[in-house]
Amino acid sequence: MTTRPMIELKDVQKYYGDYHALRGITADIRAGEFFSLLGPSGCGKTTLLRTIAGFEDITSGVVMIDGKDMEGVAANQRPTNMVFQSYAIFPHLTVEQNVAFGLRKDPRTKEEKAKAVDEALQMVGLKGFGKRAAHALSGGQRQRVALARALILKPKVLLLDEPLSALDKKMRENMQVELIRLQRQVGITFILVTHDQEEALVMSDRIAVMFDGEIAQLDDPETLYRLPKSRRVADFIGHMNFLPAKVVDEANGEIDVDVQGLGRCHINAKQAPGTNTGGEASIGFRPETLTILYEGQSASDRETTGSVEEVVYYGDMTYYDVKLDGVADPVRLSMRNVPGRPVLDRGTKTRVAWSPSALVLFR
Amino acid sequence: MDIKTRWGRFTRTPAFNGYAMISPTAFYALLLLAAPLGTVVYLSFMTDGAGVREVINQPTIGNYLTAWTDPIYRALMLRSLFVSTLVTLATVILAFPVAYYISFFVTPNKKSLWLFLITIPFWTSYLVRVFLWKVILGFNGVINSGLISLGIIEDPLTWINVNVGAIVVTLAHAYAPFAILPIFVALEKIDRSLLEAGRDLGETALTTFWRVTLPLAMPGVVGAVLIVFIPTVGDYVTPDIIGGGKIPLIANVIQKLMLGIDNMPLGSSVAVSAMLIVGAAAAIFVLINARFLKVKK
Repeated sequence: MTTRPMIELKDVQKYYGDYHALRGITADIRAGEFFSLLGPSGCGKTTLLRTIAGFEDITSGVVMIDGKDMEGVAANQRPTNMVFQSYAIFPHLTVEQNVAFGLRKDPRTKEEKAKAVDEALQMVGLKGFGKRAAHALSGGQRQRVALARALILKPKVLLLDEPLSALDKKMRENMQVELIRLQRQVGITFILVTHDQEEALVMSDRIAVMFDGEIAQLDDPETLYRLPKSRRVADFIGHMNFLPAKVVDEANGEIDVDVQGLGRCHINAKQAPGTNTGGEASIGFRPETLTILYEGQSASDRETTGSVEEVVYYGDMTYYDVKLDGVADPVRLSMRNVPGRPVLDRGTKTRVAWSPSALVLFR
Repeated sequence: MDIKTRWGRFTRTPAFNGYAMISPTAFYALLLLAAPLGTVVYLSFMTDGAGVREVINQPTIGNYLTAWTDPIYRALMLRSLFVSTLVTLATVILAFPVAYYISFFVTPNKKSLWLFLITIPFWTSYLVRVFLWKVILGFNGVINSGLISLGIIEDPLTWINVNVGAIVVTLAHAYAPFAILPIFVALEKIDRSLLEAGRDLGETALTTFWRVTLPLAMPGVVGAVLIVFIPTVGDYVTPDIIGGGKIPLIANVIQKLMLGIDNMPLGSSVAVSAMLIVGAAAAIFVLINARFLKVKK
């Protein structure tokens, strides 16, 4: 499936007066993929989404949708539909009328349209809600109406602007799964804007992490999580521990680094995915790559010693802040709470297993 | 004792606080609104006496029979409704673009300045404004003398003064702010993403206006219509001054009956009848638009 991408962005620039909102966005979004724009507020992710939708003019660059240049094409002429953050459900219309809003120019008969509306409502789990007044719906229901209203038009691209941010945690998790299911069912390209890294990891085929109007990294969730290209990306997605390090030797795709508290490590060049900025080097690792060794256990690779400084119990997991010997700041590690594995007390001396293969080098 | 404790408990409820808060206004309204209205209704069922301001305490529905059968009152009422309808149409249709402009195009920090500017006409007395319109539209007024001195016309235009058109222009100007404000408020409440949603779902700017903006602005439009329509039916200063007394409306005849001819019972019954007709017209209008008014948010 090496067809042309559904959306091609080429050096997209956007200024609001003096403010440089988008600083040269270049990316391809594949047909049928679930793509996320992830970043803190003000990073330009919503602006980029609105640019694709046609609500914002770009200062320079090219936006192509399905091979067509979108220059001068208004929002109502684009093969995209949007689920707004506020859902933008028309309060003066019923659920049915909301869903059918975009069908005005549809040449189908009234009966066929009514059938399509019913099907769309059924698809989002709102069967039988058609006659209700839209303003009487709950947040989750409004969201479903917004989805049905957009999907009934069979757009090439569905744009979702932080659609889950207004829902409570349980509801959000349910909707995440439903959105994935829906996306697979309809096969439409979904572009999701979110500031919630967990949401992006769970739902997306690929994620573009944005900072300050630029894409910092564009990768699939696993690569993004395991091999972030910069400390900033690493910090934004999940938790990452950083230790000062010094590159000692580098040859044939292998790197030798001296890491504070962990000693000399031999790592693969792939573990340094970021560009070499020439700044101070540091080594990063995720909490789950460290393991506390209980009595009688031994490390499969390397181990070091330390003492537990803080314990955060989460039910299924326990997070420990452990001060490793020879390291100034404590590092965070996580352990699954399996039966027979006691939660350690603060101040406990412990051994910690780790492996150089889980380290990431930033420099 | 029981009553005392109950009263004590009542004075601590939020309801009591509410009543306490509105009681001065309620008292004022009762005294200055309900009492005169009650008096007018009472008078309308009485018999006129021979003396000045004399009313004989003898119940009758004769006044209403006269009010509803005499063609003069019917004609004046219809003319009043016609003028009010014209004024309302002109005012609301002209007010909408102004409200729309302030809501959608004026930057948020300048909106209150604009609203302030719109209230400027209220700085002068209504009478002064009416006379100003007379100066502008009159037989030897600004427009006529201007056009004559420019050689565009030879004789003064008569259709711009002393007629229904001049009354409509004057009243529409006087009531413009009352129409702009409710429409502005309704437009302000519209979530702007709804308009984007309209565009996103394939509508042009114009069709989005018809399908989204206008229906959502209807509560304000309905309010504006009522605010303009109801008082203009009762206006008697403007027809008197602008119309030069030649185009009396229903309020003028009520005034004549009450003070000139000194038939207070008949005047009262015409007034009550006019009130009922206006009330019915307003109620019908609200019912027609009920589906727009149900929408919360």
